[in-house]
Amino acid sequence: MTCRMSVAILAALVALAGTATAQPTAAQAPSPEKQKMTQLGIDQKTAVGLYNYLKQKANGGQPLTWKTVPDWTGVWTREANPFFWDPDQTSTTSMPTAKLTPPFEKRLREKLDAVNKGIEFDPLSNCEPAGMPRWMVEPFLREWVVTPKETYLVNEMQNEMRRVYTDGRDHPSAADAYPLWEGDSIGFWDGDKLVIHTAQMRAGQYQRIQPYYTEQVETVEIWHKTAADTMSVDIWSYDPPALAEPWYTKQVYKKLSNPDNSLRIRYWDCGENQNNAITKTEEGSSDFTHFTFTDKAEKK
Amino acid sequence: MKKVLGCLFGAMVLIAAPVFAHHSAVMFDENKEITVKGTVKDFQYTNPHSWLLVDVKNADGSVTTWGFEAEGPSTLTRAGIRKSDFMPGTELSITGHPMRDGRPAASWIKATRGDGKDFDPRNGFAIK
Repeated sequence: MTCRMSVAILAALVALAGTATAQPTAAQAPSPEKQKMTQLGIDQKTAVGLYNYLKQKANGGQPLTWKTVPDWTGVWTREANPFFWDPDQTSTTSMPTAKLTPPFEKRLREKLDAVNKGIEFDPLSNCEPAGMPRWMVEPFLREWVVTPKETYLVNEMQNEMRRVYTDGRDHPSAADAYPLWEGDSIGFWDGDKLVIHTAQMRAGQYQRIQPYYTEQVETVEIWHKTAADTMSVDIWSYDPPALAEPWYTKQVYKKLSNPDNSLRIRYWDCGENQNNAITKTEEGSSDFTHFTFTDKAEKK
Repeated sequence: MKKVLGCLFGAMVLIAAPVFAHHSAVMFDENKEITVKGTVKDFQYTNPHSWLLVDVKNADGSVTTWGFEAEGPSTLTRAGIRKSDFMPGTELSITGHPMRDGRPAASWIKATRGDGKDFDPRNGFAIK
């Protein structure tokens, strides 16, 4: 086992012991680069403001053609701990790096208190989509499909696919907008970088032991393949009820080795195997509904 | 040396913590481990979770079917575990974190097949 593998597994596992969350402490100071990107988000005030600023800087962006479509093929997965939205969070004993409004910090602390008591239920347990922005951090297989006018960002988990329109269209009008699992995404190409603005998302949580977000959340992303096996994504979340300032993070996805093509994305259906049925208990925690492999007397 | 210690620490955590990325693992007791020996009844290689069902002979001669839960097929594939590795009738020793309420199920930590080959389903989150 290489050290890289060990570190990746470590990252994946530490937070999975979700019941081990002690009283969280404040996050460490961000790097200068992160401070700069956070400040950029603050300066532009809104997600639309940041997106328009980036578009102006790119002179409106450049249309993609089949000859200029970048090679984003392969099977990918997120590099960091799946239970932390921000890869800079390294411990369950530290608070997430977001600057939360007081009501949303209170909600988060209440959730973490419950987890510490062994009370935890994830809406995903019965195959509800993660939805954006949580979509960014789920730990399973991913594919990126780029076409000149539309890019598909696929996550194996819950069969979730985001569609990013790069044909120049705008979002639906405010009167016609309504909350969507993946939101509505438009984008443009700035050279080999894909810039995305996503709005119209449903309320949710960034991850099981992470903050909540509201239907007002909007994101701006810059996707850039920085190496043959590395996709780097700068993402800002704006959500005035929940976030005291935009939450900037860098998400990294790695291309997996797949020499025998055995890694393939398969459909997810929680009804495929009855042993996967999860019940929310009266106290708000999780339990299996029943097992089909036990004797009748052992079934709940 | 520091790097080596870091790797070893990663391996130690691998042994200690349960892995469930789709639903909470609170129904399992992460502070306990149970190991049983038996034969594979069925390997339910399904999304979002797989179940390895193992028939275990009790002292009184009766048989209890135990279920060991792991992640789905793609994560198991990344861990080098294929459906054909555990055909019905395969003998094995398998370890997991047991259910808190005593039902015969556990989160799968490791298994050793009758031919001596070891399997660790949680290697499926390694990036390689």
